[in-house]
Amino acid sequence: MIYSLNAEEMAQLYERISKEFETYGTVDIQGDITFSRIESYDELRIGRSDKPPKEFLIGRNENVLVFTEPNKKAVFGVMSCDLKGFYIMDKQIYGKDPFYTARRDNTVFINYVCTEPCETGFCSSFGGPLLNDYQIQVINYENDKYLIYADDAYKSFFEGFKQASKEEISKVEKLMHNFNMKQKKHEVEGIENRIKWNSKLWDEYAKICIQCGACNYSCPTCYCFDLNDVGEERFREWDSCILAGFTKTSAGNPRESLASRLRQRFYHKFVYYKKSKGEYLCTGCNRCTDDCPVDIEIKEVIDHDYNNE
Amino acid sequence: MTTIMNSFKPHEKRIARKIKETTDIFTIEIDMESNSYPGQFYELSILGIGEAPISAASSSSEKLKFTIRSIGHVTSKIFEQDVIGVRGPYGNYWPFKEYDRILAIAGGIGIPPIRALIHELEGKKDLWVIYGARTPSDLVYKYEFDQWRNKANLILTVDRGDESWNGKVGLVTKYIPEIPDLKNMAAFLIGPPIMMENSVKDLLKYGLQPENIFLSLERRMECGFGVCGHCNVGHFYVCEDGPIFRYSEVSNLPELFL
Ligand SMILES: Cc1cc2nc3c(=O)[nH]c(=O)nc-3n(C[C@H](O)[C@H](O)[C@H](O)COP(=O)(O)OP(=O)(O)OC[C@H]3O[C@@H](n4cnc5c(N)ncnc54)[C@H](O)[C@@H]3O)c2cc1C
Ligand code: SF4
Ligand code: SF4
Ligand code: FES
Repeated sequence: MIYSLNAEEMAQLYERISKEFETYGTVDIQGDITFSRIESYDELRIGRSDKPPKEFLIGRNENVLVFTEPNKKAVFGVMSCDLKGFYIMDKQIYGKDPFYTARRDNTVFINYVCTEPCETGFCSSFGGPLLNDYQIQVINYENDKYLIYADDAYKSFFEGFKQASKEEISKVEKLMHNFNMKQKKHEVEGIENRIKWNSKLWDEYAKICIQCGACNYSCPTCYCFDLNDVGEERFREWDSCILAGFTKTSAGNPRESLASRLRQRFYHKFVYYKKSKGEYLCTGCNRCTDDCPVDIEIKEVIDHDYNNE
Repeated sequence: MTTIMNSFKPHEKRIARKIKETTDIFTIEIDMESNSYPGQFYELSILGIGEAPISAASSSSEKLKFTIRSIGHVTSKIFEQDVIGVRGPYGNYWPFKEYDRILAIAGGIGIPPIRALIHELEGKKDLWVIYGARTPSDLVYKYEFDQWRNKANLILTVDRGDESWNGKVGLVTKYIPEIPDLKNMAAFLIGPPIMMENSVKDLLKYGLQPENIFLSLERRMECGFGVCGHCNVGHFYVCEDGPIFRYSEVSNLPELFL
């Protein structure tokens, strides 16, 4: 269902949701937008968070031997490029990882859709910020006007609110269309056929990459982890395919070279996931590049002319 | 409310029997029935040390057995335990139901899931087994060889013989041509990558169809059920799409034999 709310009603919506869910949202801590527990709608600051909301579903460091039923959480202020990561990951890990699955089922993400392109993101190359998959999707398209796409599962929160008119909806659609026109496009479609196993890019990147793993940790679609025992506990820890230990076994290491591991990261995103799940393992958020200390650019991997290198 | 099963949590199981096979390989029998088919694997663990993926060495009607080479943190400590963590089974199994004539080739510590196969088939199919080890003292299950010969045609070979050895010497590939009517068989391969690569080459040369050749792959694993991302070969996860792959479906993956 599509609703039309004003700012005051947005605060009411928050109140209704907060009666059933523990509420979280993006807040401004000395200029850093960060997810945190919030107690009132006033605390919410819409903006791009320093980290994606991945930790709500995949613990950075948690004992997997003890499973506890998660609290019901509502997370306000999730950007589309971050939210989309969960829908993509779902295809591999939902229903299999018990922690992820239970938290996914018990968390409602309230997605705030960008109306102006950000500096580095390229989400429009993946369809743009208006998503087809959402729980509650909010577009603050004019000063006091909010268009809200809400899954029927949440319709009780919208009782008494106005349904959006045709005009309002088409206004938002136009806005989104303009957004997508404004942002520079990168030709993602078909990358799985253009990319080359022996491209010189991998060797070039290997010369500068310092193997910090930031590209994986900051990515809203990277889900890999390691298990490590400490005493009576077995910890899940986020892992990175850039690190040499990722594939090391007692029988050897199939990805000994850094170049082969960098290639793996991009192949997983643009070739393997597309082949196994029908979707790219990337939302165009550009976090991996923004957080890379040596400026390895995912857009270059997409734009590169593999045939003429 | 639905209670969610924590698939990361192993069952604590008693080790009922231990057999020392070689200087660095041992077999353990767990106090529980196998609920797996040959080729599937389990995650075995020691709390405080970690987990390791290990193939079932037992058929579906035996007690659960594992044969393990002591090589690192977990595998070097399992033999000392009375109780270990077990979760599984995971992965797929040899497609033995689909074929009447099967050639199984195992190198080194690849033998456990072939042992499972020999006991699963109980001589009911035309099964040929080539099992190669480095030296005679590296062969495991010696005490079962006579029994195996009633269930399968067994070819044992070692890279290097010694005074006690009057059997075959040489790589497993040397003995493939001894199998009658090869080209209509299915081949199940498990062992070091170079052994599998050379065996595949030869089998194709002798006329086996790529669809009838199956490889069991080994990759680093953490979860065993498709969520940790460690075990990929191309777009497959070895733990959930494998560990057994039809050669025709993986032959063009560049990281296949690494
Ligand atoms: C499907 C499958 C079946 C296997 N079956 C057997 C078997 O029947 N008998 C046997 O002796 N060995 C088998 N292995 C190999 C065995 O899993 C490794 O030797 C074992 O994991 C080493 O663990 P470790 O802690 O002793 O070594 P370490 O080197 O200390 O291990 C450190 C970490 O690396 C991982 N790791 C290391 N080597 C491997 C490896 N080869 N494969 C996967 N993960 C690894 C472990 O999970 C562990 O987290 C199998 C491997 C796979 C993938
Ligand atoms: S690969 Fe980079 S651009 Fe794509 S989703 Fe991950 S962090 Fe964002
Ligand atoms: S963020 Fe950059 S430097 Fe760090 S591992 Fe990734 S590619 Fe390498
Ligand atoms: S072992 Fe975790 S995905 Fe395969």
